[in-house]
Amino acid sequence: MNSKAYYGRFGGQFVAESLMNTLEELDEVFENAIKDPEFIKQCQYYLKQYVGRETPLYYAKRLSETYGTKIYLKREDLNHTGAHKINNVIGQILLAKRMGKKKVIAETGAGQHGVATATGAALFELECTVFMGEEDMRRQELNVMRMKMLGANVVCVRSGSNTLKDATNEAIRTWAKSAEDTFYVIGSAVGPYPYPKIVKEFQSVISREAKQQFMETEHRLPDVVMACVGGGSNSIGMFAEFIEEKGVELIGVEAAGKGIETGEHAAAMALGEIGTLHGMCSYLLQDENGNIKLAHSISAGLDYPGVGPEHAYLKDIKRAEYVSVTDQEAMDALMELCRLEGIIPAIESAHAIAYAMKKAKTMTMNQAMIVCLSGRGDKDVHTIADYLAQKEYMN
Amino acid sequence: MNRIEQKMALLREKNEKALMTYIIAGLPGIEETKELVKAQEKAGTDVIGLKIPFSDPVADGPVVQKASYQSICLGTTVKKVFQMTKELRSEGVFVPIVFLLYYNTILHYGIKEFVGKCKESGVDAVIVPDLPLEEQEELQNALKESEHTILIQMISKVSKERIPSILEHAKGFVYCTSSMGTIGQAKTVDIKEISKIPVLAEFEEHNMGQIKIIKEAVDGVIVGSDFIQLLEENDYCIETAKEYCKSLKQIL
Repeated sequence: MNSKAYYGRFGGQFVAESLMNTLEELDEVFENAIKDPEFIKQCQYYLKQYVGRETPLYYAKRLSETYGTKIYLKREDLNHTGAHKINNVIGQILLAKRMGKKKVIAETGAGQHGVATATGAALFELECTVFMGEEDMRRQELNVMRMKMLGANVVCVRSGSNTLKDATNEAIRTWAKSAEDTFYVIGSAVGPYPYPKIVKEFQSVISREAKQQFMETEHRLPDVVMACVGGGSNSIGMFAEFIEEKGVELIGVEAAGKGIETGEHAAAMALGEIGTLHGMCSYLLQDENGNIKLAHSISAGLDYPGVGPEHAYLKDIKRAEYVSVTDQEAMDALMELCRLEGIIPAIESAHAIAYAMKKAKTMTMNQAMIVCLSGRGDKDVHTIADYLAQKEYMN
Repeated sequence: MNRIEQKMALLREKNEKALMTYIIAGLPGIEETKELVKAQEKAGTDVIGLKIPFSDPVADGPVVQKASYQSICLGTTVKKVFQMTKELRSEGVFVPIVFLLYYNTILHYGIKEFVGKCKESGVDAVIVPDLPLEEQEELQNALKESEHTILIQMISKVSKERIPSILEHAKGFVYCTSSMGTIGQAKTVDIKEISKIPVLAEFEEHNMGQIKIIKEAVDGVIVGSDFIQLLEENDYCIETAKEYCKSLKQIL
């Protein structure tokens, strides 16, 4: 057992033998890169000049007053390409260049990671292929168009549930065959080690900034830090700097879909059993025979039956709490944020907002929480329109 | 001695190459799978693999993916395949039987329970494509304790410096994945030179000519997806299965 690949009993490298040398090489290059001042400088340059960091930590005044505690939003939606995904892509693409790879591949659910990877590939002259489930391509038509405009080849995956899980399977298959010249840009804090560590490293810029920004305004630490959890990339980035700050309550919000009790949800940690998928050991939605169950969420980005291994570990050691909100609660929160703050959040991020509203009711105006607003909702307008039409929401 | 080790020793004595064929368990049904196993045994196959279908077969190509999905839809589970194997044994099937499955199927079943069930049902080996050397400890410990079933080690064309330590843990035979057989004949020879146990190479494509060429470099061949496709195209015809295995064994 390679103990550094583990977070408690989670993580590991459950991949084909043919990928083991690739993972080791990646680990070595990554560990060297993050100690190399030149690499760090390069990352920082692109994050500032290209992505537009730092992102604001915005005090949502009307939201705070309505719900009775101070709510700060970490505005990852203001990043170039519209979500936190680009933070990690910049880092991984720079690693790919460092390794001399000519091609990158990626999986995508909501399309945000696909768009971010296509963007990075265009910027750094790499050939880019993005795998996307057929169902997600339908839900996220606009992002498919964006990826194509950016020069990426979008491969429509028709197997299993036609969503993120299946796109990931296909990306892994392709990678296993082509790792010699191809870098796999994983978008979430999942996969075989060192990917969960890589994604955390490149996403932790979220909490590094947020912590400093919060200290500058409030001169103390926040009481609560919250983010939505699919695979868990924005949340692990949002938690990273606060994990050692034991006084800060960390809350991850999973997608309860139509309700946990209906079985149609994506809350891997609510009922999930331990298993192995996509190279890692973690909590997974499984049926009674050990097959992976289909996840359900109105948000394509949370529609994943597993969760990153470090989250599983944080849950086990009770450092973080994981809760879930339904499609409907998320959509209500989305509309509420539009009206109160003039911000259209991604449906993924709206899950965090929804739980923030619940949590706020148990807090006071002297307390404060940071919520990661992981992405903007422009990509979701079709889904939102369909949802509202069905619910006759506006009436 | 394990049934696979016995078989390999026997083949070596006779100076014969080994043939392993594998099919998807439960296709087109459990009863038909039994008949297909018996047909392969009669045709002279040395080791028979049963692929336990899994929802996310990341190490498999489109043929196996599609067939696995069909089998799951028909209700195939590892429990049913254990029962089927037990029945085959009681019906006089003596050929070595190997389960090919993903690690989650074992984990979900419970490692100890799974290993115990292998012994009880007459499963001689397991091949787990998503369980590299570094992750094998728990399963290996359970297998050692049961002293019945063995774990087959897989080697790829890019294993390079990992090969000696993999071979150290190898039992029965070594499984070289398909890309190696087709791309790196020389590399297969290298492995054969340092391996104390037989080296079998997988062939994915229907190419008898290539098998003729490569067979000299290995101790045997493994044929799966080509066979699975042939079975699907021929309505799982028992005679077709027999003929196919016979012709492969003849080439070898």
